[in-house]
Amino acid sequence: MILRLVVRTAALAVAATAVVFAATELLPGDAGQLRTPGRASAQDIARERERLGLDRPAAVRYLDWLYGVVRGDLGRSLSGGRPVAALFAERLPATAVLAAAALAVTALLTAAALGVTYLRGGRGGSAATGLAAVPQPVHAAVLGVVFAGLLGWLPAVSLLPPGASPLTEPEVLVLPALTLALPSAAFATALLRGALGDALRRPHVTDARLRGLPAPLVLRRHVLPFLYVPALQVTALLAGGLVAGTALVETVFGYPGTGQLLVSAVAVRDVPVVQAAALLPAVVLLLGMLTADLAAHRAASAPRVTKGAVTAVPRNVGGGL
Amino acid sequence: MTPRTVPAPAEATRRRTPPVAAGAVRRAVPVAAAVVLLVCVPLGRYAAPHPPERTVAAPWAPPGGEHLLGTDALGRDVLSRVLAGGTHLLTVSLLTAAAAVVCGTALGLTAGWTGGRTAHAVRALCDLLLAVPALVLALVLAVALPGTTAVVVAAVLSGAPLTARIVTAQCAHLRDSGHVLAAVERGERTSAVLVHEVMPALRRLVAADAGLRLVTALQIAAALAVLGLGPQPPTPDWALMLSENLPGAALNPMALLAPAIPLAGCAWMIAAAARAAARTPGETG
Repeated sequence: MILRLVVRTAALAVAATAVVFAATELLPGDAGQLRTPGRASAQDIARERERLGLDRPAAVRYLDWLYGVVRGDLGRSLSGGRPVAALFAERLPATAVLAAAALAVTALLTAAALGVTYLRGGRGGSAATGLAAVPQPVHAAVLGVVFAGLLGWLPAVSLLPPGASPLTEPEVLVLPALTLALPSAAFATALLRGALGDALRRPHVTDARLRGLPAPLVLRRHVLPFLYVPALQVTALLAGGLVAGTALVETVFGYPGTGQLLVSAVAVRDVPVVQAAALLPAVVLLLGMLTADLAAHRAASAPRVTKGAVTAVPRNVGGGL
Repeated sequence: MTPRTVPAPAEATRRRTPPVAAGAVRRAVPVAAAVVLLVCVPLGRYAAPHPPERTVAAPWAPPGGEHLLGTDALGRDVLSRVLAGGTHLLTVSLLTAAAAVVCGTALGLTAGWTGGRTAHAVRALCDLLLAVPALVLALVLAVALPGTTAVVVAAVLSGAPLTARIVTAQCAHLRDSGHVLAAVERGERTSAVLVHEVMPALRRLVAADAGLRLVTALQIAAALAVLGLGPQPPTPDWALMLSENLPGAALNPMALLAPAIPLAGCAWMIAAAARAAARTPGETG
């Protein structure tokens, strides 16, 4: 079973590379045409294509690229000619810090919102689903107006001086991380609220209450175990979405990470960079899913937890790009 | 209500159930509001007091006077741009959501009804398409396609699988229900069974799902517009205005808030309508 899950994840990862490669293959005028000036002769274009290896069939180029990706060779950027792997190594720490900060804030906000839901007896209002539906640029704009415009507490643009790390200048992290965390927390709350409500309505919880157990003990021993697996599943979904969301947030706030790299590469049609930058969120999503599935598998085979604890979380909330 | 005093489930359900009529009205309000909004937004352009693409005053003029919401970086009237700026976003999102729901429902009905190998193939296809986050897929497609096309293709490719999943599950469940079995035994054609027996039972589910697909499409369209891959300046567009006016957050905050409010309002109302549609009659949830 565990082996099957791992094999499935590996197959999906390969599938993700195929999707990404196929999407960039749609480019009507290929890179050979784009990299040469407008009045280049057909011969020049052909020579450029040959130089870039674009004259080979798509399947061969895909396998060649995939073999490179597996070895960690992501090709060279079409603009500038630097190795894509080096470009990434430069920017990955900034994005990792941002995503981790956003995930931490998301966890705090979600825990608080679920606490409120718990106090209301497992019922929730429409705020979470509504907030999760609001497009991320709106969150960015409103946070920008409040913190950078009206209060003037934070920089509206999160530029980092060269060589500086977001860990030494934490104030540049605040707006991007909050923008990522607000809709994520709303999304997580909306998804987990159902699981919390279900857990609270289980007969053994009512029984524990009627036996007069103190509420914190009921919560810890009889309710929370049912939230463990759904919470992991939601975290996996969120991790992929957060890394994808950095593309928007980093560009809006000018934060120098891999998301910004992806967007700027799309603008100049730098295909090798786009391919690599697109694989990153996909891999994070798949690894997160694998972790959640393995945890669900463990919970299902543990004798103490009943089968009902391992229900899949439905993705019935708009949002979570 | 504190958790300690939660009544037994049966009692709780009975007490919270309102009269049927009240429930119906409650469910209808968000749906009606969303529909009214979708009709009004395209008409906004004609209510604009100034030409939305022309410079009419000094840049970053504060709200008040002739320009109710002030002006933006190029001295264009913010109110006029907001009134004119929602059509593209909503049209794209509506078309995309409709396409995603139709494709997803067709896939889901096929898989759920046929079962076996077809269902496996459909599930594998769905997993494959969901392996890449929607926003990233849209960005990758935007390398080759025009921004709007990329939004539509990406949102359909990553929305249809989600619809297909829930329709498959529900359809497989319905296939064994009494009224469907009866229709099959009567010798009705499969297409007739699907259209007359299965689809009506899926109506609520698909309607709620359509709302969620609409929300996602709106988010992707807004994100790509902000990244400069949607409508190009000087076209008035809510999402584009958000990125254009961010530098003036301190000078004229209304230039940012004015497009943010209708955009958020649309998304919020669509989500509320989807929630209302998903609710079974009599349940207040």
